[in-house]
This record gives sequence, structure tokens and C-alpha cells, in this order.
Amino acid sequence: MDLAVQRVLRPGSFEEAVRVMAEHPHALPIAGGTDLVVQLRDGRRAADVLVDLSGAGLAFITARNGVVEIGGATTMDAIANSREIRDACPALAAASRLVGAWPIQCRATLGGNLANASPAADTAPPLLVAEASVHLVSADGDRRIQLSELFSGPGETCLRPGELIRSIMIPTQHLQRTVREGFAKVGPRWEQIISVASLAHRFELDADGSIREARVAVGSVAPTPVRARAAEQFLAGKPPTAAVRREAARHLQDDISPIDDVRAPAWYRRVAVSVLLDRALTEAADG
Amino acid sequence: MARDRNRTDKPGKGVTRRGFLGTVGAGAVAAVTGLPRPGEAVPEITEPKGMVETALSINGRMHRLLVEPRWTLLFVLREQMGITGTKIGCARGECGACTVLMDGSPRYACMTLALEAQGHEITTVEGLMDGEELGDVQQAFVEEDAFQCGYCTAGQVVAAQGLLAANPSPTVDEIRAGMAGNLCRCGAYVHIFRAVERAAKGRGKGGGR
Ligand code: FES
Ligand code: FES
Repeated sequence: MDLAVQRVLRPGSFEEAVRVMAEHPHALPIAGGTDLVVQLRDGRRAADVLVDLSGAGLAFITARNGVVEIGGATTMDAIANSREIRDACPALAAASRLVGAWPIQCRATLGGNLANASPAADTAPPLLVAEASVHLVSADGDRRIQLSELFSGPGETCLRPGELIRSIMIPTQHLQRTVREGFAKVGPRWEQIISVASLAHRFELDADGSIREARVAVGSVAPTPVRARAAEQFLAGKPPTAAVRREAARHLQDDISPIDDVRAPAWYRRVAVSVLLDRALTEAADG
Repeated sequence: MARDRNRTDKPGKGVTRRGFLGTVGAGAVAAVTGLPRPGEAVPEITEPKGMVETALSINGRMHRLLVEPRWTLLFVLREQMGITGTKIGCARGECGACTVLMDGSPRYACMTLALEAQGHEITTVEGLMDGEELGDVQQAFVEEDAFQCGYCTAGQVVAAQGLLAANPSPTVDEIRAGMAGNLCRCGAYVHIFRAVERAAKGRGKGGGR
């Protein structure tokens, strides 16, 4: 019933959280706990000390100067309900509604989903296509990195000991352009599953319907969530015809390196993620 | 259920079954006061394995108790306070048997530390009762026969309560999505969705609480 945790520290501000993390270099930060509590119980992660970030003022969404900033402890539910995020990154709003089920969405946080660094993290592909950056803070100072730099392997990040994810920043897209954006995942059911494959896309279309710029990111098909650069390059400047869609799926295979695991064999993931790309392109063609 | 007038824990019978179990289980309960007074979010530095004094607001009553930092809310509710309506299923955030409301929205008590619940209003299935009467969502579950073994029911009812608070007249699809975090191994889903619909309709007519 209970966890091998001996102390829970509850800082009342972000500054205090940073200080507490510096004093306890082996502490793990906890926000919603939806991944961490299960991992602690299963012995997949261990920590004597938890630093509860729920009182650290990290639950916020602000939009200014062409950037939407999301605090690290903002819940999936708040993100899915946010008008700013639905405008700036509709794929993120959609993905947030597919993380676990609603009780999970009311607890799970964006910073937690990213810090947990699951290859299947549903919020990562939308943020990769949005070219989001991450504001990291520790007692030694702060730095801003691209989200793509955060992930270093399954369950691993470049976060240094004591470093916290303060916020995630999304550049606002230029709304006058014709943009098609979305997120989809494949699994045994919609809710409460870990994605077998996921894909976020943002296609900027020309007046004639061809793709001026394609951004595609995929989850659960590589050691980390990744941008599908080969497929993107192939798609740029082409109309989403059936022949182009087929060829794009072939290029996508070079972007991914799926494995067999309990949830699906690698070959299935290759097929599934191709279908997701095909659907996204078909929808873009249909307007 | 409250319609069953023969149950052993009705008031006026001296030591009630639920009250008795509650007392036995309440070893760590330091004191109970009637006034809600949300705890402050002060930093809590505790000794290893030490108990921390905390105050949890459960079903409208403030409970002051000693907990270990590593105890989940589910453990404290069931094993320390004897509030056993909330069930334990998977203990890993997948089944919803442990669903409670925290400030009105559904939470899995199995993955919430008791200390995190400090300062928030917790509602369990017991808190949905209207005195000795069933609450409207509970009543709708009875009328629609929305359970078989009943193990998932407390979580389902609490989740439905949270859903209707956020969305008073959900569509069938919204009910399915809102209740997706609550599994029923008996497969009573069709009846469960009907029960939520019934409760929503009842409230629309001003019949709810
Ligand atoms: S016991 Fe908490 S979700 Fe299953
Ligand atoms: S009624 Fe048996 S688990 Fe739902």
C-alpha cells in the first residue's frame, strides 16, 4: 500500500523548490505522481525523498509576445481546456485529452509527462512539431533548450541533478496561413492505454493544396519521441496525392526504429504509424 | 444501501459495525473536529519514517491525524480511518475503483499521497449520501441496475458525480469518455452509462442535489 519513501518535502514557492532540490540532490520531484507513484511501487525508480511541486506555483498558462508558456505542473485537463493552447497547438490539446483517462488528466502534468521521458509520452509529438522549448532551472542557474534535446533515451533526460522543468514554451503559429494540425494514437482502446504508436502533424498548405512545409513527430516507435525528418523532407512542396502518401510512408520507415515489446511487435508499429501519417495527409487533402 | 433498513450500522444501536471498524482502524487519528479548516501549504520536513501531523477535509469534516509521508490517500482512508467505501483494485491508476473527488474533480486515491490531499476537499462515496438516503447518482445506479458484483460501483458513482459537476448534461459520448477511467470487470457498462444519463436528466428537472 505504501511506498519506499521516507520524506515528502512540500515547498511553497518555486524558489524554495529549487533550493530544496539543491539540498537533496537525490530527491525526485513529484507533481501529479501518475507515473512516479506506480514506478516507485514497482521499484522501477527509487527515492528516499520526494519534493512535491504542487504548491510551487507551476500550474499556469500564459500567452504573450507570440509565445504560449505552460508551467511544468499544469495538468493535462487544464491544457485540454485552454483556449490559448487550442489556438497555438491544437495537437497538444488533443493529445492531453488522450493521456490516461479523465482522473489521470486531472492529475498528470505536462512537466511530468516530459520528465518521465517515455518513448510513448503523448504530449511530446505535438510539442516537437510546435518546436517547443523548455525552461530548466536549478540552483546553479537556468537554461533554455529545445524539447528535442531533453530526451536522451527511454526514461532518460538531460536534466541535471536538482534541475526542474519550470515551463514549456510554444511559439504561436501564424494563424493567417493555412495550417492543418492534429494528433492521433493507436492502442487497444482510446483511453487509459499507453500508445502503441502516435503521430502529430502540422502541415502548412499552399493555395493549390500542396504542402509547403510538413512537420511530423512520432511516439512509441523509437527510443525517444522523434521528428520524422525524412518524411518531412520528402513531403515538402508536394500535393498529398495517393502516390505521395504511399511514398511518404516509405520515407517514414527511415525515421523510426521500433522494437518488439509487450504492447506490440515492431512490424505492427511500422504499419500503424504509416496509417496514422496516411490519415493525416488524407485529411489535409480533404481540407 | 440506505434503503436497506436492516443494516447493522443504523444509528441508535450503540456501537455500529461501520463505527466499530472505523474506531479499530483509526489508530493514527489524533482528533476529529467538526470545523473545516483547510491545511496550509507549508513546507513539511519530517524525520525518516516519522509521522507527520496533517489535517484532511473528508466529506465535509476536518480530520486531524498522523500519517507517514509515504502513505497514499487510499491507505489512509481505508486502513487508518476505516472509511472503506473507496475500494482498492489495481493500486496503479488503471481501474478507478479508488476514485474520490478532490475539490470536485475525480482523482485516483491509490496514486495520491495523503499529504498531497492536505488543503483540499475530499469526497468519498460515503459523502454522496444525503443523510440516510442515497444521493441522486447512487439512486440512479440502483434504478438502472448498474452493477453486478458492485466492486467497481463506488468508484463509478464518484466518477459520475465528478463528471456531472463538470458537465451537467453530457452526451452519451461524453459520458463514455468521462467514465473511461473506471473499469468494470462485470461489464455493466451499458447500465452504468444509462445510470449517468438518468442522473443527469433528473438534475435537469431540478431533481438533483
Ligand atoms: S485502485 Fe486506484 S485506479 Fe485502481
Ligand atoms: S459491477 Fe463488478 S466490477 Fe463492476
